[in-house]
Amino acid sequence: MNESVPLPIARKGSQLLKYLRPTFGVVVLLFILYRLYSVLVIRHEYGADTWTRLLITGLIIGGVYALIAIGYTLVYGILFMINFAHGEVMMLGAYAGFFVFEALKSIKVSSEPPLNFSNANPVISIIIAFAVGMTVSALSGFLLEKIAYRPLRKAPRLVPLISAIGASIFLQNAAQLLFSPQLRDVTNPEILRRGIGWKILINGSNVIIPYTGVFTFALSILLLIGLYIIVRKTKLGRAMRAVALDKKTAALMGIDVDKTISQTFLISGALAGAAGVMWGIHNGLVYYFVGFIPGIKAFTAAVLGGIGNLPGAMLGGLFLGLIESMGPAALGINFQLKDVLAFAILILVLTFRPSGLLGEVLSEEKV
Amino acid sequence: MSTNIIVTNKVTKIFGGLTAVNQVDLEVKEGSIFSIIGPNGAGKTTLFNCISGFYTPEHGDVLYYDVSIRGKATNNIASIGISRTYQNIRLFSNLTAIENVMVGQHPRLKENWLDAVVHSPRFKREEKTSILEGIKWLNFVGLRGIANSPAGSLPYGAQRKLEIARALGSKPKLLLLDEPTAGMNPQETLEMTSLIRKMRDQFNITIILIEHDMHVVMGISDHVAVLDFGNKIAEGKPAEIQSDERVIEAYLGPGGAALAEKYRRKKAS
Amino acid sequence: MNKTLLSQSLRVGITFGVIHLFLLLIGFNAMLGSLFADIARVKQSGSIPASIFLVLYCALLGVWAGYSAAKKEDANVFGRKLVRGLIAGTVAGLISAVVSIIFAVLVTNKIDPRKYLAVLSLDFMRASLFNLPVVQGVAANFGVLAGAGLAGGLLTALSSFSKVKHAWKNFAGLVKGGLEKIRYCTSGKYHLLFKIIFLVVLAAAIFFLPTKWGSYWNYVIGTVGIYVILGLGLNLIVGLSGQLVLGYIAFFAIGAYTMALLNAPEPHNLMWGFWPALALGVVLAAFAGILLGLPLMRLRGDYLAIVTLGFGEIIRILLKSDLMTSFTGGPRGIQDIKGPTIFGQPFNTDVNFMYLIIGGVLISMFIYNRLKHSRTGRAWLSIREDETVARASGVNTVKYKLLALALGAAFAGLAGGIFASRNQFTGPDEHALMASINVLSLIIVGGMGNIPGTILGAFALKGLPEILREFANFRLLAFGALLVVMMLSRPEGLIPSRRPTLQIPEDPQSDEENKEVSHVD
Repeated sequence: MNESVPLPIARKGSQLLKYLRPTFGVVVLLFILYRLYSVLVIRHEYGADTWTRLLITGLIIGGVYALIAIGYTLVYGILFMINFAHGEVMMLGAYAGFFVFEALKSIKVSSEPPLNFSNANPVISIIIAFAVGMTVSALSGFLLEKIAYRPLRKAPRLVPLISAIGASIFLQNAAQLLFSPQLRDVTNPEILRRGIGWKILINGSNVIIPYTGVFTFALSILLLIGLYIIVRKTKLGRAMRAVALDKKTAALMGIDVDKTISQTFLISGALAGAAGVMWGIHNGLVYYFVGFIPGIKAFTAAVLGGIGNLPGAMLGGLFLGLIESMGPAALGINFQLKDVLAFAILILVLTFRPSGLLGEVLSEEKV
Repeated sequence: MSTNIIVTNKVTKIFGGLTAVNQVDLEVKEGSIFSIIGPNGAGKTTLFNCISGFYTPEHGDVLYYDVSIRGKATNNIASIGISRTYQNIRLFSNLTAIENVMVGQHPRLKENWLDAVVHSPRFKREEKTSILEGIKWLNFVGLRGIANSPAGSLPYGAQRKLEIARALGSKPKLLLLDEPTAGMNPQETLEMTSLIRKMRDQFNITIILIEHDMHVVMGISDHVAVLDFGNKIAEGKPAEIQSDERVIEAYLGPGGAALAEKYRRKKAS
Repeated sequence: MNKTLLSQSLRVGITFGVIHLFLLLIGFNAMLGSLFADIARVKQSGSIPASIFLVLYCALLGVWAGYSAAKKEDANVFGRKLVRGLIAGTVAGLISAVVSIIFAVLVTNKIDPRKYLAVLSLDFMRASLFNLPVVQGVAANFGVLAGAGLAGGLLTALSSFSKVKHAWKNFAGLVKGGLEKIRYCTSGKYHLLFKIIFLVVLAAAIFFLPTKWGSYWNYVIGTVGIYVILGLGLNLIVGLSGQLVLGYIAFFAIGAYTMALLNAPEPHNLMWGFWPALALGVVLAAFAGILLGLPLMRLRGDYLAIVTLGFGEIIRILLKSDLMTSFTGGPRGIQDIKGPTIFGQPFNTDVNFMYLIIGGVLISMFIYNRLKHSRTGRAWLSIREDETVARASGVNTVKYKLLALALGAAFAGLAGGIFASRNQFTGPDEHALMASINVLSLIIVGGMGNIPGTILGAFALKGLPEILREFANFRLLAFGALLVVMMLSRPEGLIPSRRPTLQIPEDPQSDEENKEVSHVD
């Protein structure tokens, strides 16, 4: 009876696979070390002043990434789908901020130097801009879920993802047709003029810490803390976590699952809207494509930190921002290639640690 | 004298802090029908998953004809003769019934994509036999008539049978059936029982069965093992299990044995 | 009951009002009006058509609103349907009137908001008021929509009359019967005859059409053909094995650039000739597919989507960057790519390329079809349906997913090589993300996993916009909306895949034979 029992022999192919990953890892590591060595030790290409500048840039952009990444992580944690249109939600917020500043600028209050409302009441103007931007984005996130995702909740995973891609293309092109493809300059209130800031002297040269950057970074940290409190301490946060773990049981416990999901989209939309307005204030340019690349970067950040994991998304955002600004310099490659670096990081993370730096938080549904 | 087809050696599987399967030893004789019973959450399906390679047990070993298959890839385990069905039916629902069975035959066929593109003799031969065999398996489980219907559109009982036909497609030596009669009416249960017996008798397939219906278990099993909270608490012939105090307590709670004794006496009087 | 009537109709009206507002703000009415004018062969100057066509547009929208509202009525009561249509039309009309008032104010004060809303020129706003004086314009905007809403309700109500229904049923039955008959003729004993006739006609068309219809059509249909190849390749990956790949065009780029670098005077002047370059492009693309897929095979599918998207962008940015300029021509791309030769004769006129593309399409279709109906194809489908179970059925999912990626990428490499050689040019911006999305859209719209669907999708998404020039600006917007709408209403595509019906041998098997099967090894 025992004569023809085939034994489980590991195939050659899988053997090859086993060695491929470590080999790839060692090669990448060696390359990075070699470049770091040659740039930092041999060539001394940049002084401390440049590094400080890059650090500041990285932190600012990282804060914005973190805000957007939170949106991906929240939605992924609950619906297990990549909200591909999230970057476009941010873009709408950026446009809303732009329009608010334009409108306030056009209100004349005096003939003397403050001249218009925006300069006369800068704090109020900024608050209005953020309020409008966050509302617009929150509403568009809410509608997006209601129209494009909710009917597909029981469909196979690819279906809502494709729907999200469609929504993303639609929103981009709608913005292009509505507001024209040209780049818009955001006019900040005078106190937040771009390019001015505190000066510190490092290595004999001035390093500017821009006001817009400090403002952006501080606000994003505040919002992140606020969100963390919402998720950890409030009833809504508890409902969100329960729905993320198990929709059916949560519904049995009296949680309105649909409402909780809607609220999640409202919150993540609002954060993306804030990120959009910040983008406008700090970078100064708003256009229909403005949300796309930051959106994908932020998704990378969310994966980097472990998707579904809130602190992970925050840290991932900051980390990605730093890599993007300091990476090209440290590796001695062209700054044009910073996007390549970000995507390469995504591929590397998924190859070597797919659960992200802090580990992903997923429910049992995975298996 | 028959040999052991599968031996689990102190298999332990831990999820987080929960030990789902704790040091379970089983020896399954070739050609036997072996039942695993136990209350819900006792770790029966987890044990199945350890055998079929979905999980790698933390400790212990799984031996198939005295060769360790612990941690081997699921598809390799399937291709050496271990097939299974699922507690909640998992068919390829957009494929037709016959295609489901043909996917089941996958590890036994050799044609690759180049054969398919040039329609080599091997391709023609294998396609022809795989259709014929697929029909025969469908016929065996009594689903010949619906060969070309999409699997997802079949009634519940037929889906259960189709899962078995798909598992048979690879001509397994060992078949793991996870609650094959769940949700069936008495008539269907009877059919399923005779089908299980037929598989063993005709093809000498060893069958490991997870089952809640005690009539089925006691009727067809050669050997029964009882799991409770991941531990094996009893093992033996069906008759031995029926009178085992620990088993009764596992099902009825502490003091259950006394209760059952009382019930039995009352019934006798 | 009346409350639901009112609230439902109100909701439909508001929805259509908002849609109308949005379409006005992106200038869709002018585009569609121009299209109507084209059809009616009315010449127009500029982008704004005669008022009558804008009225027609409004009326159609109103009828649609009325129809949607009236359709929601369950009771077969004539009046109720009318009322629903009227309410929806009126509400949409009110919204339209408000917008018109704003337009009127802007027009009378000569304020040009184009700095913020791109299409709202004064001319456009005047046209949206149907070139009427202000008050009449607003009233007309309201009136047309309300009236058309009523008309829509009336139409719906009429069509539910038994006679109309009956006639419709008869007509539908006739069409269906005809189709059945055709199917019977082509499948029954005349099967072979019809097949031969069909093939002969097709062959004749393929042979003669490219020489007859001129270079413009060769260009348009050739592009459609390239996209059919791409669609089939992506269908292998997405439609059969169920892996979503968003950077598919990167493989196309690999094929195109291999052709360009090996077969153009600048920047390397290697001049390998068309065929070796094409073959190498196919191989390299397949290799890239494996390389990219290898680290991702054990991950969930949506990661693959994002990573391939990132990969596509990496390729594009690298091609564009200064780093690679000396090697790949940088942002300017590569020009003067040489065409193929056959037996030493140049084979590079537009007609020749058309033949080449048709050949590529036929080969792709052939390979795709054969793969689909094989053990490999079934393994792919099982992975798409349930990867865990596929693995437990003995399918080496890693191997088959990689195989799908490699073969799909090879199709793209083929398409890329031919495309670059035909256009005698390739540049980084041809390989942007939108091109990937185009391919994905066309297979989703056409119907995932089947050849007729892919061809239909390629014509609809690549051919139609070429023909409907007015539509160009709205193409991507329409893609986006189409993807969402398709997923919501018809995720299986315009032509859904049907599973093959296999021939089942007649005689029932006895148990002995079953036994016999089990011992054949």
